[in-house]
Amino acid sequence: MAAPEPILEVKGLKKYFAIKAGVFSRVTGHIKAVDGIDLRIISGETYGLVGESGCGKSTAGMTILRMLNATGGSVSFKGRDVIAMGKNELRNMRKKMQIIFQDPYSSLNPRMSIGEAIGEALEVHGIAKGSERREKVESILKVCGLDSYHYRRYPHEFSGGQRQRVGIARALVLEPQFIVADEPISALDVSIQSQIVNLLENLQEKFGLTFLFISHDLSVVKHIADRVGVMYLGRIVEDAPKKEFYSSPLHPYSQALLSAVPSMIPGYDKKRVILTGDVPSPANPPAGCTFHTRCPRAVEICSEQVPVLKKVGPDHYVSCHLVKEAW
Amino acid sequence: MFNKSKQVDNHSKLATPKKDTELRQVWRHLRRNRLAMVGLAILAIFVLSAIFAPLITPYDPVATDFSVARDLPSREHILGADWLGRDNFSRILYGARISLLIGFLSVAIGMFIGVPVGALSGYFGGRFDLFIQRIIDILIAFPGILLAIVVVTILGVGVENVMIAVGIASVPIYTRLVRGSVLSAKEQGFVTAAKALGIGDARIIMRHIMPNCLGPIIVQSTFQIATAILWAAGLGFLGLGAQAPDPEWGRMLSDGRQYIRTAHHLTTYPGLAIFFMVLGFNLIGDGMRDALDPRSRKHR
Repeated sequence: MAAPEPILEVKGLKKYFAIKAGVFSRVTGHIKAVDGIDLRIISGETYGLVGESGCGKSTAGMTILRMLNATGGSVSFKGRDVIAMGKNELRNMRKKMQIIFQDPYSSLNPRMSIGEAIGEALEVHGIAKGSERREKVESILKVCGLDSYHYRRYPHEFSGGQRQRVGIARALVLEPQFIVADEPISALDVSIQSQIVNLLENLQEKFGLTFLFISHDLSVVKHIADRVGVMYLGRIVEDAPKKEFYSSPLHPYSQALLSAVPSMIPGYDKKRVILTGDVPSPANPPAGCTFHTRCPRAVEICSEQVPVLKKVGPDHYVSCHLVKEAW
Repeated sequence: MFNKSKQVDNHSKLATPKKDTELRQVWRHLRRNRLAMVGLAILAIFVLSAIFAPLITPYDPVATDFSVARDLPSREHILGADWLGRDNFSRILYGARISLLIGFLSVAIGMFIGVPVGALSGYFGGRFDLFIQRIIDILIAFPGILLAIVVVTILGVGVENVMIAVGIASVPIYTRLVRGSVLSAKEQGFVTAAKALGIGDARIIMRHIMPNCLGPIIVQSTFQIATAILWAAGLGFLGLGAQAPDPEWGRMLSDGRQYIRTAHHLTTYPGLAIFFMVLGFNLIGDGMRDALDPRSRKHR
């Protein structure tokens, strides 16, 4: 199968945050939130990026959109490097790449009506104003499962799920092609979660959207994603098509994560891989494989050499010394 | 919403929801605060008497009549007359004009400089912020009234210069206040969202950040008016403010000191006027602080 063209290609992306100390704010170290990740996202697909909290998945999303400036690496969106873009080019790019936030409460300005919040971008980019703007906003509200009379309402008049719909409508109004969904359902009630997931899927179909779906919920990712990437301490440890990932995860960390997903079948006891200890500090990650301190199968080489991402299947990549390179 | 439906008589209005604006909510909470209402009443009296002073008192505040000089309060001059026979009551009424003018305009000057500087400093951060904040540190190192004295010394005495001086002296307070509010507001998700939508910095500050910082600014301004009036009276007392024959309370207080044994009304009443006006603004400020703070609102 010839590899389809990726809409987004990330190579060696790094984001370090300086740790400053003392009176003169000397840089005493770096938190390596994102430490050289590679991603290829195919147009029209959903890439599920999973990992524990603090592993750098949100930072990765923000850096890809250049909401944060990268420390190194490249992000190529439809063949153009986002990292190297000038101010005007970046502004135009914002129409094509959007973000949906985790917290539906803080992500809406309490002093701006819904119509205003969604329509503002249309005006700023000179796409529509006046009654045309209103029409566009009302139609996008309907697409997102809201009503046109919500136009004049304020965020405090909405529930969490409705607010998240507003946030989605705001992201969609510029007709983007690529959307980073940064834990879009983690803050919602379980009953609402499925509604929002279905909405995202419908929208993807309708507008041909490509998602980078950031989540810590493996069962949701299993539902929505086409491809899964697992992050641990700022690095991608396994990157595989969804089916392969859920049926035969190869990295010990992926295996541990998957074994922690509650089973749907009562009485069926999976073999649980229990990880001990905490995630090490990203300011001072362990030498060698960053996972070796918690890995149940770690051997000597793990604490000495940094593993690289190896191709182990037609489209399956793992960074682990214990997994033999194939293909 | 739920809290609205509690008001049973409002049920009919629910069908066509009336806009429950923030302003209306604040007013509703303010109205329930008795002390704030007392403050409002005091201020209303001062403002009305300042506006309608010529209708309330027949005497010109600067007209002299030596036949009544230093007379104690009487039927003709209800608050007495000063050493030149000028009607004390008229002077206090007209003095309210000067005090209110100084209070509001100096706060306007302070806000005009302090709010934008603080907003930019907080929003952009980095070296610019560092630079601005060190300047503010220097200004804050001096007590406000001292700073105002320095400015008046440079600009020269007079009501206009007092306003400018008090305004400048209040700049650091606004800068710090606004910077702090902006710092917390800019971390909110909707600011990140606005940036992701490609909305420019100027628009983000004006439409997304500043509207969410208004509460503290309004509260501070109310208190600041009181402070400005007090500082202005202090400058007047020192002879650096309004010049004779303008009826400025601080100056009246200072001039009246030499007659305090025989004509106490020349110091008592201007002093009380300053006291009540400052009290009025402070009471309202307290009420506003409670009404604008969403946390304290819930408890009432």
